[in-house]
Order: sequence, then C-alpha cells, then structure tokens
Amino acid sequence: MYRFFRNLFLFALPLILLGVSMEVLIRNIPNDYSYKRNYLDQYADEVEVLFLGSSHAYRDINPALIQENGFNAAYVSQSLYFDYRILQKYEGHWSHLRYIFVPISYFSLFYELKDGPEAWRVKNYSIYYSMATSPHISDYSEMLSNRLDINVQRIYSYYFSGEDPLTTSDLGWGGRALPDTVDLAEKGKIAAQRHTAASAALFDGNVAILKSMISFADAHNVQVVFYTPPAYGTYVENLDEAQLTRMLSTMTALDEAHSNVTYVDYLTSSLFDEEDFYDADHLNEEGALKFTLEMEKLIDIKK
Amino acid sequence: MSFNSVDYALFFMVVFVLYWGMGSQKVKSQNLLLLGASYFFYAQWDARFLFLLVLSTLFNFMIGRQIHTGSEGGRARLFWLYLGVTLNVWVLAVFKLPISWLSSIPQGASLLVNPVTLKVMLPVGVSFYTFCGLSYIIDIYKKKITPSTDYIEYAVFIGFFPALTAGPIERASHFLPQLRQPRRFDGAQASDGLRQLLWGLFKKVVIADGCAQYVNMIFGDAAGYSASTLVLGAVLFSFQIYADFSGYSDMALGSARLLGIELMQNFAFPYFSRDIAEFWRRWHMSLSSWFRDYVFFPLERRRLPLVGQGLNTVIVFLLTGLWHGFNWTFVAWGGVIAAYFLILLYFPKKRNNAAVVAQGKIFPTPREVFELAATFGMITFAWVFFRADTLQGAVNYISAMVSWSLFSIPEVLPTGLVLLIFLSMVIEWLGREQKYALAQFALGWPRPLRWAFYYTLVFVIFYFSGSQQQFIYSQF
Repeated sequence: MYRFFRNLFLFALPLILLGVSMEVLIRNIPNDYSYKRNYLDQYADEVEVLFLGSSHAYRDINPALIQENGFNAAYVSQSLYFDYRILQKYEGHWSHLRYIFVPISYFSLFYELKDGPEAWRVKNYSIYYSMATSPHISDYSEMLSNRLDINVQRIYSYYFSGEDPLTTSDLGWGGRALPDTVDLAEKGKIAAQRHTAASAALFDGNVAILKSMISFADAHNVQVVFYTPPAYGTYVENLDEAQLTRMLSTMTALDEAHSNVTYVDYLTSSLFDEEDFYDADHLNEEGALKFTLEMEKLIDIKK
Repeated sequence: MSFNSVDYALFFMVVFVLYWGMGSQKVKSQNLLLLGASYFFYAQWDARFLFLLVLSTLFNFMIGRQIHTGSEGGRARLFWLYLGVTLNVWVLAVFKLPISWLSSIPQGASLLVNPVTLKVMLPVGVSFYTFCGLSYIIDIYKKKITPSTDYIEYAVFIGFFPALTAGPIERASHFLPQLRQPRRFDGAQASDGLRQLLWGLFKKVVIADGCAQYVNMIFGDAAGYSASTLVLGAVLFSFQIYADFSGYSDMALGSARLLGIELMQNFAFPYFSRDIAEFWRRWHMSLSSWFRDYVFFPLERRRLPLVGQGLNTVIVFLLTGLWHGFNWTFVAWGGVIAAYFLILLYFPKKRNNAAVVAQGKIFPTPREVFELAATFGMITFAWVFFRADTLQGAVNYISAMVSWSLFSIPEVLPTGLVLLIFLSMVIEWLGREQKYALAQFALGWPRPLRWAFYYTLVFVIFYFSGSQQQFIYSQF
C-alpha cells in the first residue's frame, strides 16, 4: 500500500504544484467581479442608487450619468439570487442607499445562474464575493471551473502581454460601442429562443427572492424600482407569449401590492430605435445614455 | 455527483482511505461503509428517490427469502416470484411510461410528476438496480443462488455506487461472494483501476463531450445541413455514445477495482466487430446477457416452430429498446437491430467471429476491414433512431442523408476532434485483446515515458473539461 501511495503522490505532485500555482496566478489577476467587490467594500456606505441585475443592467445603465451616488453592481448572467446575496452581504453598509434598480427581463423569473450554461460563473461569487452558495468544489476554484486553455490564455494575457483584464467602468458599467455590423433579425431570434425557459420550475423561487428583496428594502427604507429593459423588435416578436404574460402580470401585481415598489415596462418602448442597440437585447453606449436618463427621471419622480 | 466531477474525486478519495484504513479483516464494516457511501452518492443525484432505492432493495430481499423458503413444487414459490417480477416491472413502467399512459396510477404518484413538463421524473439508475433485483429473485427461484442472509451485503449489491447509476447490471452470483471475502489491498490491482478510470475519463470528457457539441448542433437542425454533414453527425454520435457509455463503465470498473471489487465487463471494443452478432456480444454486455438469460433462453424453451427463434429475437430486441424508455425511437432502434439479426438468422453463412478480430496481428485483412466498416455503418444507421427526438425526426434525418449533397464537403468539420477520435481508436485497437484499452498499453515503457503519456492524457482531459455533459445512460 505504501508503494502505491508513494507512486501516486509522486505522480500527482507536479500536477498539484502546477494547479495551485496557476490558481494563485489567476486569482491575482484583477477582474470585474473583484473590482466590484472592492468598490462595494470601500464605498457601499456612500451609494445612494444601486443597480443590480444581469447584462441587461450591466450594459444598459451608466451610473456616471445620474446626479446621485450610483453604482452598477450588475454583471453578465447575474441572477436574482445573486442580486439579493449582494444586497445581503453589505446589509450593515447601506446607510445612504435610497433606490435599488433591478431589471426584470423576459427570462429573469425563469432563470437561475446555477442551472444554466453560464453556471461556470458561480465560482466568481464564491471566490471574489466570498459567497459560499454552491456544494460543488469546482465552484470555488478558477482552475477547476474553466478549461485549461482559457486559464493559460488569461495568465498569458495579463502577465506576459500586459493586457488590462477589466471591462467595467469606475462605477461598474459595461458599456459597448456599436459594432460594425450586427444582424438584429437573427440575433433577436436566437436570444429570444435562448431566453425562453423549458419549464417554470424556477418561477416560484425567483418570485420569493423578489419578495425578500422588497422586504429587505422596506426594512431599510429603500425604494425598489423593477423595470423590464428595452429590446429590439426582432427579439420581442420571438418571445413566448405565456412566459412574457406571466412575468408582466407578476410584476404588475408586486407593484400594486407594495408601496415601496415601482414597476416600469420598457420592453417595447418607442424611445429606442435601431441606432440604440448593440444587439437585439442590449443597448449600446448611445442607448445606455438615453436609458440611464430615463432611470434618472424615475428617481426625480420618486423624490 | 457525476464520475467526471471534482466532487466525485474527493468523495472517492475519502471512501478509499476509510475503506482500506479499516483493515482487510473487517469485511462487515467495509460493507457498511460501502452502503453508507453509496446512499450518500445517490442522494447527491436526487435525495427524493433514495426511498425508492431502499424500498426496492428491501422488497427484493424479502421476496428472495420467501421464494427460498417456499416448498419445492408448491405454488408459494411461484406466487412470490410473480409478485416480485410484477412489482419490479410496475416500478419501471410507472417511471418510464409517458404521463398520458398513466391515468390509472395512484394519486400519490402524481408527486413524482413535474408540473411544468408533465413528465414523470425518472429516478437515476432505476432501470439498472431494478434489473439487478429481478435477476436476484429469478436466480433464487431457479436455485442458481441462495438468498443472502445479510441485508447490508445485499443492499451493497443493489446500491454499490460505482455501478448504481448506469451499471454494469451485476449478478448476485458474481458480486455477493466478493463481499463475503476479506479484500486485501493489491497495489497492482489498484494501479490497474486508476488506469481504467483515467481512460474512461478521457473517453467521456474528450471524445464523448467533444462529439456532443457537434451532434447536438447537427441533430438539432437536421434540415439545415447537407447530407454529408448529417452522415458526419450520425458517425460522431456513434463515437459519442460509445465513448460516453464505455467511458462511464471504465470509470465504474476502475473505481470498484480500487476498492478490491471486480465488476462485470460491460464493453469489449464493440466497434471492432465483424458482424452484428459479434457487436451485440461486445456492447453493453451486462444488459445483453441479462436479456439473453432471463428473456431469450426462457422463450427459446417454448419456441414456436419455423418462426420461433426469429420471433423470440424480435421480442428480445424490442424489449431491449423499451428498457431505454417508452419511446417509439427506442422501439425502432430495437427493431432495426432485430432486423439485422434476422438477416443473420435466415441467411446463414459460415461465421467464426468468436475471437478478437486480427488476433495477434497489428493490421486486419482487407476482408476484415470491409466487415468492420460494414458493421459500423449498420450500427451507425441504427443509432440515428436512438438519438432522434421522434420517430418522424429519425425518418427525416435518414431521408435527408440520401441526396447529392452527400458528395459535398461537410459544413461542419471538427478536424481536431476527428484526430483525437482516431488516436483513441488506435489505442483501443492496440489494446483490443485486453479488458480495456490501457490494461497493458505503455506498461512496458520506461517510467518517464509512461508517466509522460499519462500526464498527456490528464492535460488533454483538463483542456477539454469545460463543457461537461450528463452521461447518456444515467438518464435510463
């Protein structure tokens, strides 16, 4: 037995050393998650308007354009569950918080990060937000949650090519300029199909999270603004009617039932045209400027 | 908890250390640990269905004892056998029949129905452990074995975690004696287990999951691709399902061997078969031998004249298809395999394909190459039915394969993946006379070279480990 374990140890040792070294190197590369966490660690006490949500908030809202102290804590594929966890994490620090903006997209009530193809992102919340939300070991390691070539590429890009890995602005916005060419018809169809849920199994859980968020905000004297972000026509016309109706009726009911809740639907808003979209369900920089000013108007009305 | 997860690696390490740390004389303690570990492993999949596994185990254990104590020639033994078989088949039917067929099931069972998809939630491994239980009570009835008197030992036989979710479908006569004897740690056996685990992981993560991306894409939009791409999709699915299932089996056998337990061989290089009969002897061997022993042989004893053997063959393959699920695609798949067998049966020719192809040689003869290619082509055709979502989908897929675009270059051509499949098949070819490809491969090499080969496999596995897919057979 001793010989077996000795040989196994000798065989595994280089792999373990290499793996641990790469893990340390990758974790020391700045990234959008660690940036947002560091920002909130430092400035959560000063934030007056907090933007949570998925890429529909991360790309669409630039907090630098509003008068209040705002921060965009949204990120790609971030689900309502992680929005609420971020709120909870800084519970003792929201001394100036007055408004929380949460996008309720077509998919939001039927989606959870852990269950989808983007589940590999869960490790970012475990590692960089110190949230123990997963029973899977791979969700606590960079090396075990990404392909080897991606990890090698990240190390090379940062340590050897000197590339800046951050894509977020100082206040957490992930705006993008209009690409050279974009097929909005095809992109809209594909995104709508991707966002149409196979089942409604996650619906009740997500509504429960929204209610927890509302209670949390109520306890801290904070207003919650839920909104459905704008999307291009090719996206909207490919949505599943039943899923969309269920989402809209649920949000309207929450708005009516809670005095600290406002719900606004921008899905088919005429304020946005083709020039404002990066793709069929995300705004570009120009669109984000328009949309952020709309958010500012909502704040003014609430004042 | 899937075999190809870090969670399983850690879980297994803990079990391994505790298991051998007890000392080889503490057989009962080791069995108890295996049972606890197996139930923990199963609960990680879906704790709700652990009760079904425990209930099925308890039920078959008691039925086995009742059959054994029944008087010879009396009706009691037959009654208990019928009761056991009926309830086991009923459990399978409840979970495998489409919901529309289940209007007569008790209200309580509706708890097991997903309210959104309206599909019965399938307990992982139910087809496998139910068949283990069935073979146990039938073997007791036939007096091939005596029932176990130790419930823990029997429960380990049914629930042994390496084989629990996707087999092999063990037999009590093979498995239980191993649990009764002291298991001594054998370094060579453990190393062998590790090699088989590594090879299984390679096949699953690199080949099966690599193929899955392209197969899903091509089968998902068959109408949008040329005939040559559809043929490529079907061929890739042949490799996917083989690498997925035999990879799982390799990992199961490797894990068990590390614990000093030998499971039944489930695959014997089936794509190196020269005819369909040889293929079926080498593919999912624990299932094919189960149907042979418990369905085909009993049917053969009551064979009808003239059409008897052919009819029995068709019955067996239709049942084999249905075992995968009550879907017309599986029935059609079983029907196609049965049709291939009928051709062999009614147009016999001299066949001598019992031994490994090109035994003792490096290269096959041109005739053998032709036979291998023809058999692979026939199997690939049958897999289209297995993979398609509906029978109409399979027919459409096959129809679209017959067009002039068959001679065009496929729109999807994953050259890297094809190269990896080729290399893995070369290794399988070189190891085809062993129980698995790496059993002897590279063993004679100097250690640095041998380890370099294993390191290469590990790196390739890590390189491809991003798109983890569920094991196909864990859905059955």
